[in-house]
Amino acid sequence: MSELKTQELTINMGPQHPSTHGVLRIELLTDGEVCMRAIPHIGYLHRCFEKHAENVDYMGVMPFVDRMDYVASMNNDIAYAMAVEKLLGVEVPKRAEFIRVVMAELNRIASHLLAIGTYGLDVGTFTPFMWAFRDREFILDIFEMASGARLLYNYLWIGGVWMDVTPGIEEKIKEFGDYFGPRIDELDTILSYNQIFINRTKNVGIIPLETAINYGLTGPNLRGSGKKWDLRKNEPYSIYPELEFDVPIGTGEMGAVGDCWDRYMVRVREMRESLKLVKQALKQMPAGPFRAKMQRVRPAPGEAYFKTENPRGELGFYIVSDGSIKPYRVKGKSPCFTSISCLDEICQGAMIADVVAIIGSLDIVLGEVDR
Amino acid sequence: MKKYFLDIYRGMRSILKGMILTLIVAFRPKATIQYPFVKRELPTRTRGRLYCNIDDCIGCKLCAVACPVDCIYITANKRGPEEEIPLTSPESGAKQRKFHLPQFDIDFTLCCWCSLCTVVCPTDCLYMTKEYEFSVANQQDLIWQFGEGQKPGPKQKIEPPHLKSVK
Repeated sequence: MSELKTQELTINMGPQHPSTHGVLRIELLTDGEVCMRAIPHIGYLHRCFEKHAENVDYMGVMPFVDRMDYVASMNNDIAYAMAVEKLLGVEVPKRAEFIRVVMAELNRIASHLLAIGTYGLDVGTFTPFMWAFRDREFILDIFEMASGARLLYNYLWIGGVWMDVTPGIEEKIKEFGDYFGPRIDELDTILSYNQIFINRTKNVGIIPLETAINYGLTGPNLRGSGKKWDLRKNEPYSIYPELEFDVPIGTGEMGAVGDCWDRYMVRVREMRESLKLVKQALKQMPAGPFRAKMQRVRPAPGEAYFKTENPRGELGFYIVSDGSIKPYRVKGKSPCFTSISCLDEICQGAMIADVVAIIGSLDIVLGEVDR
Repeated sequence: MKKYFLDIYRGMRSILKGMILTLIVAFRPKATIQYPFVKRELPTRTRGRLYCNIDDCIGCKLCAVACPVDCIYITANKRGPEEEIPLTSPESGAKQRKFHLPQFDIDFTLCCWCSLCTVVCPTDCLYMTKEYEFSVANQQDLIWQFGEGQKPGPKQKIEPPHLKSVK
């Protein structure tokens, strides 16, 4: 059969395909059921973030930063705020740091829940999706209490946080801590260790460690390939060195190291670690001011780059200041953009149905790819 | 061959486990509410539609400057030298209102609910309400007027005076 030369067919997948997680168009070159190439075409959600940032003051960039990776706004804010603080040389009060970490880790859980839920949806199971959204709602309620918004918070400000946490929110977060632990076990039972799900995702879309490093993957995608690299541990920032947590990596217990199941499982295990971090940070939270005393943000001419560990990988902001109230240049280094760059390589030789599973396991948010 | 049947057995077992769990979850309290009939109680910091209490506004335009999307339009005319300068309410600091404010419009089609304008307001006359249902049939109805002598709400059409005389 192999000598039979079949005609290659080009198929467009997206931009409205539900499993592309937004507006991604993939040009698939197929030979029968097998995908020969998968060329991602991006730019459908381009909102000129970087150009916008040059036209508003430093604080006004924050709402646009929220809209980059719209399911993990708090984590984006922390990266941008710390980059500007590095430029200003402002020291953030201890309490603000703790509030930031609690919020960022809660948002990491919310983001991973969305990733896991929609991944289940991609490979054909519906119940975990509803369960994940039910638990995510709990976190959104906490954020709504703190910031007043449910998705785009604008809560972490340059120099601290917008307002001190609402009284009663600590009890709510504690309640969530007790509530959510058993829910991860339920999620494990219904999805992670479900044999049908395992057979669907094991040995699919394997990213060898070398490929992952060559393409510059970060976050759960890199850790799924077996590299223990987490900026919270390796280049600690904020108060992470004071807190105890593990960095889960892909072990290849179901198939090869770096397959879809590994990447999925890293996210599930990271949720447990985040829960640990939230509990610790909440326990150690000191009293004190929640925002540094500062005038209008006007850094001296210079430049700064700061990177943090987002739920999707390494998010960095490079800011150039010319001494005015507006940034001269803001560049966002997005982890999703690097994740999507290796799609072509790992999709070669995969089935068309597996392409859906691979995109889901990479966990891309198109708002961040296009910015 | 053995693996084939083992897979079937494991698959069946997973489904059974999942089904038992689903049955347990089905008897838990519901997580959903019937939205248009039942509404959630919103926290105090909810960021809904902006509202401006124009009697306390001093026309400093700090909100319009802070707005990242420039959706607040203010016209402030300085009062004449003979005119008496009124004060804002005592709760907001009894500041002098040196300007006439014939226009204070907010374009809610642009507003991104970032709350940066409410923070900079020196008299706290601009704040966010808990109202969050604002779908309208006409896009023009999303531009709200708060100016002096105007009823807060969708912007009314003002007929130019010279056209009136023609009629």
